[in-house]
Amino acid sequence: MSMGIPEVEDAGCLLCFGYNGADSHPIVARRIVRGRQKGMKIICVDPRVTETARISDIHLQLKGGSNLALVNAMAHVIWEEGLTDDRFIQEHTKGYDEFLKVIEKYTPEYAEPITHIPADMIRQAARMYATTKPAMILYGMGVCQFSQAVDVVKGLANLALMTGNFGGPSMGIGPVRGQNNVQGACDMGALPNSYPGYQNVTVPEIREKFEKAWGVPLSDKVGCPITHVPHRILHEKDEKKRIHAYYIFGEDPAQSDPDLAEVREALDKCDFVVMQDIYMNKTGLYADVILPATAWGENEGVYTCADRGFQRFRKLIEPEGDLKPDWQIIAEISTAMGYPMNYKNTEEIWNEMIDLCPSFAGATYEKLEKYNGVQWPCRDKSMEDKGTPYLHKGGNFATADKKALFYGTDWHPPLEMENDEYPMSLSTVREVGHYSVRTMTGNCRMLRSLEDEPGWVQMNPDDCKRLNLEKGELVKILSKRGYCITRCLPTERVKPGATYMTYQWWIGACNELTLANLDPISNTPEYKYCACRVEKIEDQEWAERHVKELYDDIRVQMGIDTGKGAAS
Amino acid sequence: MNYFVKGNPDLCIGCRTCMIGCVVVHEGKHIFEVDPDSYNFNPRLHMVKTAKISVPVQCKHCENPACMAACPVQAIYQEDHRVLINTDKCIGCKACATACPFGAIDIVSLAGTRQADGSERKVANKCDLCNNIAGGPACVRVCPTQALSLVTEEDLGGAMEKKRMEAARNAYMEIHPQNGG
Repeated sequence: MSMGIPEVEDAGCLLCFGYNGADSHPIVARRIVRGRQKGMKIICVDPRVTETARISDIHLQLKGGSNLALVNAMAHVIWEEGLTDDRFIQEHTKGYDEFLKVIEKYTPEYAEPITHIPADMIRQAARMYATTKPAMILYGMGVCQFSQAVDVVKGLANLALMTGNFGGPSMGIGPVRGQNNVQGACDMGALPNSYPGYQNVTVPEIREKFEKAWGVPLSDKVGCPITHVPHRILHEKDEKKRIHAYYIFGEDPAQSDPDLAEVREALDKCDFVVMQDIYMNKTGLYADVILPATAWGENEGVYTCADRGFQRFRKLIEPEGDLKPDWQIIAEISTAMGYPMNYKNTEEIWNEMIDLCPSFAGATYEKLEKYNGVQWPCRDKSMEDKGTPYLHKGGNFATADKKALFYGTDWHPPLEMENDEYPMSLSTVREVGHYSVRTMTGNCRMLRSLEDEPGWVQMNPDDCKRLNLEKGELVKILSKRGYCITRCLPTERVKPGATYMTYQWWIGACNELTLANLDPISNTPEYKYCACRVEKIEDQEWAERHVKELYDDIRVQMGIDTGKGAAS
Repeated sequence: MNYFVKGNPDLCIGCRTCMIGCVVVHEGKHIFEVDPDSYNFNPRLHMVKTAKISVPVQCKHCENPACMAACPVQAIYQEDHRVLINTDKCIGCKACATACPFGAIDIVSLAGTRQADGSERKVANKCDLCNNIAGGPACVRVCPTQALSLVTEEDLGGAMEKKRMEAARNAYMEIHPQNGG
């Protein structure tokens, strides 16, 4: 995020794009609600009536998969009506004229049939965003989980650049990261293309710096993105390039990745699978080795918040049983494989890391303690450098000439559109209470009592009526790739023709249906769009029994003790 | 006057933390039972979501409670600014739930207790404003957006006075729009 999360509530206008704060991050949603109470204008772009849509000034309830057409049309209006910040464009950006050539054709009238939003409403939204200062954009998975994702992120950045909404507090553009510490994972280089601190593996000087520090030769090639793994196991002809071993931790691809049938086949065929997690999960069923890990509260270290804030987290209790924290497991495996790692504590690891990363160099444990966290970049170790709450101060961007680049692209539709056989669309979403694949929250009894298997499919009441479905009825939902059973939830908050499911359920596993169509740059799958069909199940008694049997089966396979004796 | 908890749909984000908070304070350490069926998960308020509204709904602690009038065994009574159900006396006849105009009463099972047919005992359940629980209603305390508030006689009086002031100002403005109140 270019801004800090506390700044959200002081924006003049919030363009909330494909971001459902109330369900994904109630703590950020609280800032949105507070901002609203202070008079912040809200434009919400979402195909569903989310909690933010409910309190917005303008809700653009667009057709799924039309993001870039809408963003380009808003840019068109801002340009055509002269609402741009010309001085900012002149002094701090490049590529504006080329960008205008792309957006020229995106009149609101052109976008209307694509987005299903009336042209005048697009005009109103563009005017509100461009004329209310400071204006902030928050976006979420509703932008990132499409095959055209990075283009939309750049499109949103174009809006902020055109209107001069960078370089001060409560403005800019904020990807509110999907998961706790996913920002930290990226910061630490858990990406195929970078070392910690976003230092690219293909740059020779950077590689040499890390080779010197670690005393080993390092590869100059970009690694394999997680979403390419099934293909590299199943279809790679070259024996040397094929993946033979897969070490997975804090991740449950057999639940969270698209097209689960393919993921299962890949895990099955892979010669050696190691799983490291705090509880048993679906991926664990395919593991050759399971390494039990510690949970938050049983270990300590540093998390990064979505707004680049490093925060210390601490151990509350000693873990029981034969458990080690992740960093110790990694160090021992590395040592066993011939590269000894002898760290005494997390601070030693942290200090080594920040000394290799110029933009983190000043974020010492001492400062993290004293200031209750530090937002990077923080380059200087002196106590005066307290980090950077918002980026690009004074319009100086992180490029060689400090100028931002406009980047225009044309909209294209999602890969798999509705058709005769699969006449509805499916998008995967979040619901508050259960987090991610439910490895943690599914083991919290309270949250399990609130919502349990097999989850829900949200549908418009008209569609439910047409298919003769009642609330709570078990239904079968199918795509080209697979099917699952879940419960029907009629709600006015979704449009006819669209369905929405959360991806955490073992039985109602919507990723049986989703499609591994990837954004060419981020390699993120198109979780937000595929074609599906909903079928009524006539024998509901059978369906209820069947779901219970499936659930019991999985629990037995996982060796889960339900407290009622053996899980048999 | 009886007190009640009021939800503000402009602040509510539909997260249901209030429902969890409610169960946690009423169940105490039972929430740590390994078997989820061995404790009561009976939230005394319910999140309602329509196309345009999200807000929890719960007992209004009426001054002339329809539930109390309907109860044939006098299990419902008023005490300490609230309407309460004596669960021991309750025979599970559902008259109160039917009578309540707000849908605030549920008939729920009590884990570990048995009724005549051997199944779990079922009784009427509703908001008790966290009777005998230190700190007041848990839903108000746990809400991340402060969307819930306990309304007392004093609050209600204050709010009415404010509304009357507003009405008076509006009446004046109708006659003298140029003076700006």
